[in-house]
Amino acid sequence: MDPALTQALKTGVAPMQEYLLQGSILDGSKDILLHRLRGLCDNADTAPETFSDHEMRVLNNRCSQSMCKHLRYVGQTEMGIGDKSRHTLVRTCLDIGVSDTVVKFLNEMGFRADFEFVARGIFFHKGRMKVTVSKLFKLSQPGDPQAGLEPVSGSHLVELSVVAPTGQEQVGEDMKNFAEQLKPLVCLEKIDHKPFAAAKQGT
Amino acid sequence: MGVVCVYTFPVPEGKSGQQVVDSLQRQLELLGAVKTANFSVDCETYQSNNPTGAAQRILHVLHNSEQPASCFAILDNGTTLVADVLFEVLVAKLTQSKSGKDGYYERRKGLKIESKGPRFELSDFIVKIGSVSMASNFKGILVEVEYCPCAIPGECWELMKEMMQSFMGTVVENPPMAVKNKKDQFYTPSDTVAQYLEHFNNFRKAVVNQSPSYEKEGFSMMMKHFVMCMEIQVW
Repeated sequence: MDPALTQALKTGVAPMQEYLLQGSILDGSKDILLHRLRGLCDNADTAPETFSDHEMRVLNNRCSQSMCKHLRYVGQTEMGIGDKSRHTLVRTCLDIGVSDTVVKFLNEMGFRADFEFVARGIFFHKGRMKVTVSKLFKLSQPGDPQAGLEPVSGSHLVELSVVAPTGQEQVGEDMKNFAEQLKPLVCLEKIDHKPFAAAKQGT
Repeated sequence: MGVVCVYTFPVPEGKSGQQVVDSLQRQLELLGAVKTANFSVDCETYQSNNPTGAAQRILHVLHNSEQPASCFAILDNGTTLVADVLFEVLVAKLTQSKSGKDGYYERRKGLKIESKGPRFELSDFIVKIGSVSMASNFKGILVEVEYCPCAIPGECWELMKEMMQSFMGTVVENPPMAVKNKKDQFYTPSDTVAQYLEHFNNFRKAVVNQSPSYEKEGFSMMMKHFVMCMEIQVW
């Protein structure tokens, strides 16, 4: 077994961390951003890759499902969001390929579905940085994306992320420089999710 | 992946597990089987910690050396998840206690059980002879036979039966449940793991049921012997 994995099993600490910056752009200006991203990113000569993900969040886990199922665990944000030494949000994450029984399995394990949405958009990469520009949709019927979708807002979500082994701080620097190049079209920032979670629990 | 049958091979009284394994191995080699590697299948068991009277769940996590990058999670009601080995890190997270609270799941200590031993190839068949051990105690022998070219159990059961009887004899009469229930469907690696889990659970149960009576028997034998000695002395 891979030593990093053995270590992770022993300590229960996920071997990977996600560095994340988020922002949004109005639907009307999206094409300008896509144009710029096509110029900046690696896959410039090919048509941009599209995706359509159905994400379902269960208690602590997020499971994103499309044609193939994928289970993702994301940990609490590391350090205070006000931590000036870090340019991005950093959290542990586990990306696990799973069979299509995953939703039933998690429910029976005791997890309860929290919320779900569909994200459709375009995906770019530059080196190990991943950029997604996606539109979020609510589902008219829970659990069934075929039944109908309604857009959440008049904007697109823009995310810049890197998943890297624990302790690679240089990543944050690279991401900050990249995000600078997208200004003023979109301001990518580290966003504190805690107030949203608290507000949700309050309702 | 073909169709797999797993059987418990009885260890006759007065023989050790190793002797039985050796004789099986000799018979296979006479048939022309070639030892290719070693294999192992292991199972770790967890139970849920429910604070509010909800039904308790048992979660088994199994590995099979034949699918080294995957792990198989099976709940007590049979729901199966096939996942990346990373899923184990998630289970490890669920068992961690946080800020004074117990984890969502707890590992059941001393219940780790595994079957390991040599793996043979005999033209289109793969045969594995596993010694089952729990907490380093020998529990029994499991023999796994895989017929690689076919994935539908109904199509190849008779052929497999004939081959298996050639070295296991009457142990092989009926197909295992997992194979029987899937007669006309595609057989998958998770069916193999389900067969192992069933056998592992039987071995674990056998331990719970037998050990006290064995002890009692042992104790009463000792007492009889003791009393006899006393009688002889008195006499």
